[in-house]
Amino acid sequence: MTPRKTRLWLQPSYLAVMVPSVLVLATLVVCAIFADWISPYDPLKQDLISALQPPSARHWLGTDDLGRDVLSRLIHGCRIALIAAAEATGIAVLIGVPIGMFVGFRGGWWDWITMRIVEAMVSIPGIMVAIVIIAILGTGLHRAMFALGILYSTAFLRLARSVVLAEREEVYVKSARVIGASPSRVLLRHIFPNIAPPLIVQITLTVGAVLLAEAGLSFIGIGVQPPNASWGTMLNTAAVFMDLAPFLALPPGLAIVATVLSVNLLGDVIRDSIGRGIRTATPPRGRVQRAATVASDPVMPREDDVLRVEGLEVFVTAKTGEEVQVLSDLSFSIARGETLGLVGESGSGKTITGLAIMDLIGAGGRVTGGKVMLDGIDLRGLSRRRMIEVRGNDVAMVFQDPTTSLNPAYTVGNQIAEVLRRKKGLGTTEAQKQTVELIDRVGIPGAAERAKAYPHELSGGMAQRIAIARALSCNPKLLIADEPTTALDVTVQQEILDLFRDLQEEFGMAMLFVTHDLAVAADICDRISVMYAGEIVETAPVNALFATPRHPYTAGLLSASPHGSDGTPPLPTIPGSVPTPGQWPEGCRFSARCPYATAACKVRVPLIQGVRCVRSDEIRPGRAA
Amino acid sequence: MSDLVEIVDVTVTYWSRPGLGLRPKPFHAVKNATLAIATGKTLGLVGESGSGKSSIANALLGLVPVGSGTMRFDGQDLAAMTGGYPPEVRKRIQAVFQDPYSSLNGAMTVEQIVSEPLRVHTETGAEDRRQRAAELLSLVGLDPAHLGRYPHEFSGGQRQRIAIASALALQPRLIVLDEPVSALDVSTQNQIINLLYERQEELGIAYLLIAHDLALVHHISDRIAVMYLGHIVEEGPADRVYHAPAHPYTKALLDAVPLLDPERQRQRRAERKRETVPDLPRAADRGCAYSNRCPFAMNRCRVEAPPAYAVQEGGTAACFLLDENEKETRT
Repeated sequence: MTPRKTRLWLQPSYLAVMVPSVLVLATLVVCAIFADWISPYDPLKQDLISALQPPSARHWLGTDDLGRDVLSRLIHGCRIALIAAAEATGIAVLIGVPIGMFVGFRGGWWDWITMRIVEAMVSIPGIMVAIVIIAILGTGLHRAMFALGILYSTAFLRLARSVVLAEREEVYVKSARVIGASPSRVLLRHIFPNIAPPLIVQITLTVGAVLLAEAGLSFIGIGVQPPNASWGTMLNTAAVFMDLAPFLALPPGLAIVATVLSVNLLGDVIRDSIGRGIRTATPPRGRVQRAATVASDPVMPREDDVLRVEGLEVFVTAKTGEEVQVLSDLSFSIARGETLGLVGESGSGKTITGLAIMDLIGAGGRVTGGKVMLDGIDLRGLSRRRMIEVRGNDVAMVFQDPTTSLNPAYTVGNQIAEVLRRKKGLGTTEAQKQTVELIDRVGIPGAAERAKAYPHELSGGMAQRIAIARALSCNPKLLIADEPTTALDVTVQQEILDLFRDLQEEFGMAMLFVTHDLAVAADICDRISVMYAGEIVETAPVNALFATPRHPYTAGLLSASPHGSDGTPPLPTIPGSVPTPGQWPEGCRFSARCPYATAACKVRVPLIQGVRCVRSDEIRPGRAA
Repeated sequence: MSDLVEIVDVTVTYWSRPGLGLRPKPFHAVKNATLAIATGKTLGLVGESGSGKSSIANALLGLVPVGSGTMRFDGQDLAAMTGGYPPEVRKRIQAVFQDPYSSLNGAMTVEQIVSEPLRVHTETGAEDRRQRAAELLSLVGLDPAHLGRYPHEFSGGQRQRIAIASALALQPRLIVLDEPVSALDVSTQNQIINLLYERQEELGIAYLLIAHDLALVHHISDRIAVMYLGHIVEEGPADRVYHAPAHPYTKALLDAVPLLDPERQRQRRAERKRETVPDLPRAADRGCAYSNRCPFAMNRCRVEAPPAYAVQEGGTAACFLLDENEKETRT
């Protein structure tokens, strides 16, 4: 199924910004071109008798100190504003972007020398640089704009350089080099289009800055020369007669504000709608957004249940502003000392399940239904403050990448001691002591020494041990481990899995182990729930799941696993790919990829006796040889 | 028939950026590696992160210079081509990289991506290029109607197909596959592996398949080489290396991968020696790089670097356990 595409800028939130901006800028352009026809009076015609008049029927915006019509001068000022913005921004882009791209790509001495010159330029106040350039070139609009162009080119140079520096390390640049594209081709055809978005933002910012700077330069008398009308010279006049005619400053001031604001807003819209993310997938209209409720088997309460999740339902707000369902009809339980594996491919909703339990989905997502019972208390009913207490104390979490889940600014010992002090209220000495014990407990030799290390000084495996020690510091009832071994090498993975098992034996916590790797789940879990497209399709004890998978998806995953077969290609596959949230089929979500799908699969399927398949008993998918 | 690629005694060295007044420090990512890839065959190159497998790929692609040794492709010495490969070599060696999200240029359409090699190397007209791009898309199992789309409109597996189509455009003789499926979902991985295998059968392309998972590699490799910290520790026919590894590190690597059978996995876990984690430097400074972690390490291993010994069932392994004299003294 192909997603329907909509242009981003056609969405209401963007239109509300775009329409006024475009109107303002169109008015500016029309005024600039047709100033002579539109303006009611000659902007230079003086009438000293009617000087400094307030707005009236004859002069809509009043007159200035020499009796000139303010509206006419404002309209003629548009022309100057347009020329100024175009000239200065154009010069800045033409000088800054090519040089910046070149030095960013070449690096070395070219880069070093250019950047020192740029630094020297930006270390002097901008307006002084402009004044010096004007002093050399002489006054006047075009010369002033040339000066501004040179001044602002440094911003473009630095931007282009930094973007090229970042992009040049991207894999697509490597691919282009392997294809045999010459350096200039790599730079112009491959890298340049990716610079466009930040460049557009910089252009709009510069246009605004130029308008203000032109007003400023004219204001101090070295830009547009009187009697010519520019918004800057008008402000200049207004300042002189502030006491007599306070209204004089309003028209040029508002014109500048409206123009600068419009350019910036329009720039944002343009930036968002070009290049990557030009279009976003939206679900076809007229479809039920919420998955139909089904009568799945209730989760059987067990005596030593630590966590019981019942009918959990989560929505997130997509880029388009629409609410998309990511979890539905999700129920499971974990007992004390038990490990439940949550297995699924990317987009199946396994990570969001862990976050939903912790109430950490963040902005843009919300739990819309179901219960999260921890030791008989529904966490969804708790106040925010109470929930903060639960996190860390009762439920702890270990994430995929230990090098990013630990704070690089503090020693690892500090990060564990912090938890002990905050959550258990320990004193500094006692917290230190327990920290060292914990680090020792997770199998790190020389614990006291290692507590003083910073995260980057540890290998991935060691860092993950620290993260585990921190999670266990308050002896939680439930530990959620989200792909804790995925970023590690296999030999290290094996050690970390052993550690989890040992610690569970000792601390007796319940564990929710999220992973995409069935073999890892086979190693560590007591029971496994297989997730597909936001729901559980099968839950079974680990031995049963691997010996006799009952859902066709589980069977497919098992045979497609690299260790699942020993043959030569063609290897067993599951056709197609996982549907993204918002694109789920209405009935059984696996039906589009299932070899056993029939008409019966068109309706929503409940999870009955641990399997969500209407034909499970009849087809007995089993395990492909 | 001689091999398509012959890598002999190749060393790849990176130099640290020197600070003020300091000499740059060398880091040998690959040390004296010797490998060969036959025409139309696949060499699987396996190792953990930091083993130097990607450095070998980058050296072969001409992206990093070779420090010493020779690297022949179709009889020509690539290591000597310091000024970049000439077009006729360049177009014969293509690559597919790991991350399908960053390896395709988000600002280009699929047609532009797939036909870019043709634009660089041939004088093909726009219409012919378009036609060829459509052919390439069908060759990798994508709908040619999608030519005008941008990469972000495709799933990970589909993007990897686009990357493969682009790599096939110039009819190369060798494609370097650097972790081509490790970023993909399990259910899509095999689709890509099958696709690579089928195109190889039809077009006779040789692959250098780099991965960290031996199980995955052995499905489509003819030979497998295993790397540890810059050294090639074992090389041989794929089935032999997978089923009867000769080097202790290869064994450890295979044993560390959990099995899909919980019962057998439990048994294996029980048999495995439980040891505290060694807090050792990654590589021993002298002798065999693996000697500080190897359960079979002898005194000799800590002093001397083992040469590559022939393994009876095919291939070689750099381990003194295979030394005939050693075997005698041990028994």
